[in-house]
Amino acid sequence: MTEFRRLSDSDPEIQAHGKYFSCSFLWDMEEKKFLVRMHRGRIEELIVDPGPLEDYDFAVRAGADTWREFGRQTPAPMFHGIWAASFQRDMRLEGNLLVLMQNLRCVTRQIELLRATGPLV
Amino acid sequence: MTTPTGISPVTGHYVTIEVEGSQYRVFYLENGTGQPLVCQHTAGCHNHQWMGLLEDSEITDNYRVIAYDLARHGKSDPPLNSEWWKEEYLLTADHYVAFITAFCDALGLEEPIFMGSSFGGNVALQLALRHPDRFKAVIPVEAADHSPGFFLDWWQHPQANAAQVCASGVWDLMAPQSPESDRRRTWFYYTQGSEAFRGDLYFYSVDHDLRGRCGEIDTSRCPVVMLTGEYDYLTTPDDGRRTAEQIPGAEFIEMSEIGHFPMSENYPRFAGYLKQALDLIARRTGAEEAAAPRPRTPSAPVGGR
Repeated sequence: MTEFRRLSDSDPEIQAHGKYFSCSFLWDMEEKKFLVRMHRGRIEELIVDPGPLEDYDFAVRAGADTWREFGRQTPAPMFHGIWAASFQRDMRLEGNLLVLMQNLRCVTRQIELLRATGPLV
Repeated sequence: MTTPTGISPVTGHYVTIEVEGSQYRVFYLENGTGQPLVCQHTAGCHNHQWMGLLEDSEITDNYRVIAYDLARHGKSDPPLNSEWWKEEYLLTADHYVAFITAFCDALGLEEPIFMGSSFGGNVALQLALRHPDRFKAVIPVEAADHSPGFFLDWWQHPQANAAQVCASGVWDLMAPQSPESDRRRTWFYYTQGSEAFRGDLYFYSVDHDLRGRCGEIDTSRCPVVMLTGEYDYLTTPDDGRRTAEQIPGAEFIEMSEIGHFPMSENYPRFAGYLKQALDLIARRTGAEEAAAPRPRTPSAPVGGR
């Protein structure tokens, strides 16, 4: 997770376009959960396995195997994005999806950083 | 290919056509001579998606490639003679088919091959069904008999950035293997068409519904060669194959390591599959010899074969 934070905070695209990228979201990977709080394009807080009272705007949930395939450098078809995996696999987008849509460019970029760090589960 | 001075052989033109009582000024790009090959961009996009093909001399030596902007897209205006701003834009199959045939008529194209991707692929199936004698063949790319699920209001939610939602919402329709610069360029095109995107998807996901009717397509009059990329999560290879299996005599080719926007996300890879499709059509129509290059001067009639 340290590497993920470093990559995100130094990513040229997120830093170039993330002035208003302030929101919080949960990555539920079945075996582990990660809560990311963003503030103006930078990771303000990153919590592993957050408690039940930690709030967030939206969640991206999928089984561990789906995330493992998603995090490969070249994922297999239908594991290669949150929409692909939501339409065709077991990924689910939940919560305040308007916040996701408002930040879709940066979230899309950020989640693909998992392909540089490798699967987190 | 561009010239040593950097000037592309692709030229742009406007033509005004009448469709169902409305006038449209349509912008199109073209290059090449021979068999007309008319190309439709994807929903919410424009004809620059086809620049790789338009500059591919291996194709344009034998084909006159024409890529137009559908009305309300790219450099094509909304209707000239109606108060279009007072109506919700919802593209229907009837209008779409009428628009394409009117455009081909206006250019004097005889028996063009029609190729389109996504909602352009779906309308290719409609053309094969409704006008099998008007088109020499069709190449539906990323097409299916029915493709529900994408006619969504949040493409235009006022509290979100529609340009970025539309572009990033289709980002992972592309294959991760496609060159990043080409995927980024395709993303950029999608930031430009967000106003028309939702209305286009009314056709793509609602009004286009050929379930139970694909068997009526007569491929002896209009051959059908379908192409689908393995990374297309909307119209998957299974969807394309299922559709082709319902059309007697149709061909289906699955394209590996490519997604929903083959012509712009990775043209060099798409070109190999397209040439397979064109060869199949030439064999089916006995057109191998007729496809030989023919001279045409700029002042000559713009007719087809």
